[in-house]
Amino acid sequence: MLYSLFRVDKTLMAVPITIILEIVRPSKFYSISGAPEVIDGLINFRGKVVTVINTGLAFGGNKVLTTEESRVYIFKNNSELTVTDGMELDNEMSPDNIGLHVDYIENVINIEIDELQAVPVNMAHPFYKFVVRKGDDFIIILRPAEIINLNQR
Amino acid sequence: MKMSTEIKFNIYNPVITYEHRAAYEMVLSQRHQIFPICNQGKCKALEMTDDPQKQKQINDLMEKVEYISDSLITITKVFFDQMYRAKESSAQSIAHSIAKITIDMVERNLLERTCDVRWWALEKSFWECVEVSNLTKSNSEKKLSNALETLVSIGCSRLEDIRSSYTLYRDLVLVDLNGDVIATANTSRREKLLEFNVSEEIWFKKALKTNDGTEYFAQDFCESKLENNGSLIYSTAIRAKGNEKGEAIGVLGVLFDFQGECQIVLNDALPKDTNGEMLDGWFSFFTNNQGKVICSSDQDFIPSGLVPPIPRSHRTLRNKGDFKFSTAVFCGINCLIVSHKSEGFDNYEGFGWSSHLVLPVTSMFERHKENKDFGITPKELMNSHLIPEVNRHTFQDIQRNTDKGDIQLISINGIVLATDLGKAGKSFMPIFDQITKTGSSTTGKMELLLAEMSSDMLNQALKALVNLSKQAIELIDRNLFERAADVRWWSSDFIFCTALKNNETENYDVVCNRLAVIKSTYSMYRDLVIADFNGRIVANSKLENRDKLKGISVSDQSWFRQGIQITKSTQFGVQDVCNSDLETEKNSLIYSGGILENGQRVGKALGVLGIFFDWEALAHPILDGCIPRIDNNVVEGGASFFTNTDHLVIASTDEENFTTGHQVNIPIANLNLKEGESSAGIFSINGKKYIIGSTKTKGYREYRGLEWTAHVVRLID
Repeated sequence: MLYSLFRVDKTLMAVPITIILEIVRPSKFYSISGAPEVIDGLINFRGKVVTVINTGLAFGGNKVLTTEESRVYIFKNNSELTVTDGMELDNEMSPDNIGLHVDYIENVINIEIDELQAVPVNMAHPFYKFVVRKGDDFIIILRPAEIINLNQR
Repeated sequence: MKMSTEIKFNIYNPVITYEHRAAYEMVLSQRHQIFPICNQGKCKALEMTDDPQKQKQINDLMEKVEYISDSLITITKVFFDQMYRAKESSAQSIAHSIAKITIDMVERNLLERTCDVRWWALEKSFWECVEVSNLTKSNSEKKLSNALETLVSIGCSRLEDIRSSYTLYRDLVLVDLNGDVIATANTSRREKLLEFNVSEEIWFKKALKTNDGTEYFAQDFCESKLENNGSLIYSTAIRAKGNEKGEAIGVLGVLFDFQGECQIVLNDALPKDTNGEMLDGWFSFFTNNQGKVICSSDQDFIPSGLVPPIPRSHRTLRNKGDFKFSTAVFCGINCLIVSHKSEGFDNYEGFGWSSHLVLPVTSMFERHKENKDFGITPKELMNSHLIPEVNRHTFQDIQRNTDKGDIQLISINGIVLATDLGKAGKSFMPIFDQITKTGSSTTGKMELLLAEMSSDMLNQALKALVNLSKQAIELIDRNLFERAADVRWWSSDFIFCTALKNNETENYDVVCNRLAVIKSTYSMYRDLVIADFNGRIVANSKLENRDKLKGISVSDQSWFRQGIQITKSTQFGVQDVCNSDLETEKNSLIYSGGILENGQRVGKALGVLGIFFDWEALAHPILDGCIPRIDNNVVEGGASFFTNTDHLVIASTDEENFTTGHQVNIPIANLNLKEGESSAGIFSINGKKYIIGSTKTKGYREYRGLEWTAHVVRLID
């Protein structure tokens, strides 16, 4: 199955392609007063209102700033999620479209099911689903459902 | 600089380098590859899904890719075109400034010569000599001819003194009314020249016709009986009793070492390889107002007297300061020819000469060999003031169009779309793979080109600054050379040593008057003082200071200590710029000469002549002239300044950032240069980033310089 890779600080993370609606450049964020800091704001994506979460802050790191290289993942909502074969994840999304603001996206790679390994206990994290070793890199696969709910934490 | 309208980027233009042709071919071939792929993608979309929205999305993506690669090819052409134009225009502007400064250097030198000749003509031993010589022509008394013999030997020895103080002259000759040469400075040729008759020569005739001591005649480069090679002769009348208004009784002619001087200037103008050898295809030469060569960097190829093989319009520049660029074949190579007609200097008109610089066209577009890392990113450079605005726009266009992110986004979103198509979508994967690959190799190439461009522009800008700093220090050195010559010559004045020997007040009044006369002729001095053997000031030129200075002891001052130890008339002393309590003005520069016993050339010093040079009046115009300019406007944050051995600023055009009397935080490499060495770099001061070019003095002729360094800076952002 295909995964889109991105970086948060130095950590390589991945989300399955199947849950992505589109990736866009960050445009203007409409700030919402009273919203948690982890939310960058709202964006208008093809007429839909999308809440954008700042991954840096969500993982307790430096805030992701809008740069030439930063991107926003727009995830599908529950109704847009099409069931295709090879769904090895508990693909439950939120009812709304959610955006994820990241520093930098890398390429797309294919990861087979048998490559997925459980997260070692000492680095367990509510958002981490699997760990994959590709060459010298470790890639952390996020739980889509959990990320989507980041803003509710 | 006017840009030519001819489009430089044409793949067949021979100036386009191989690398650039290859890069262009590559971008072009990538574009040829991407089109069939996009077509294939569009077809696949129709085949895979019946959902018109999905079809449209894929179609849009493909069209976006096509659009990007299309605009890439256009922008590449524009980019190359502008890159070549930018290189050309910056190379032209550097070449022009070189052509201008070469003729400027010579003109400034010639201006000094006109002061010299008028001053020397007042010398007592000269008019005495001429007077008696004229008398002997009408009266053959034995007594007279004996007297003449003595006077001639004194006259000759004074001429020799001048020549040894001012080493720019091949010879100086005294001519009586009949046109007979009666005294000369060059001992090796004296026998041959004495009794030569020059009454037919223009410089002699014209000098006799001058109205008073303020007039002189300068004869443009010509043949003279006195020498084998072409001569540049300055002449003025010797007047009865040395009175400025007196009747003309003879002529003083000085033969300037024009070829020697021009060779120095012309050769300095040309770039050298690492072994110090001149590069092939580069030439510099001067033409006179008839368009004939008067001196060249390659006397075998472009001998004097020749009409040089350059376009007519270059030989017939009409007005002062006119200049012209052309490309033409010179010496079998396609060359850029730059010509600049002399502007004269101050009130000095000059002879209407023109300076020409010839360089191979290919040299303008060469890549810079040394790739020194200045710690500045190409992107930072591209958005800086160093890059002309029109180019900056293109760079931003390129950055927008070749942003790897764009291709990446298209590709990933394509994959997202294809995934939604399920299994059927898998056949899209190779297509998007190919798009990503092609995209990143093209943008990678463009990034390299941008980096190349920015580093070339940086290097050109640095080169221009280095040239300016070289010019600044050379102008200063040349001028200070004259000061060193002045002090040596004046120290040999008989009045001074006589007065010091007798040590009587009334004698010192005469000395003061003499100093005042010198000061009035040479306005660049603030004051001239004479101190006796014990270091007490006994005379000065400036009346206002006289009471204050009289009797003051200067025995512990550097200029005096250097001066009193002098034992030869060819030596001099100099005290680096500092504040002196002997004058009210700040930043004094004091030259000193030993006044030797009996006016001998070798002997014990009886006292010291100190001359206070108004060096700021000299330094500021020079520095101003060396601030980087574009189209005659000073560039933002452009400044120039001198530092001395202690790295202190001694004169500056920007007192706010580079304050006189303080050290500046410029790269250490730019401060610790060797003689004649240049360096370029980048530094930050007061939160601003500058580029800098520096050159340390190499002196001029026998004058070694004061170890100063000239710096020229320009703001980056």
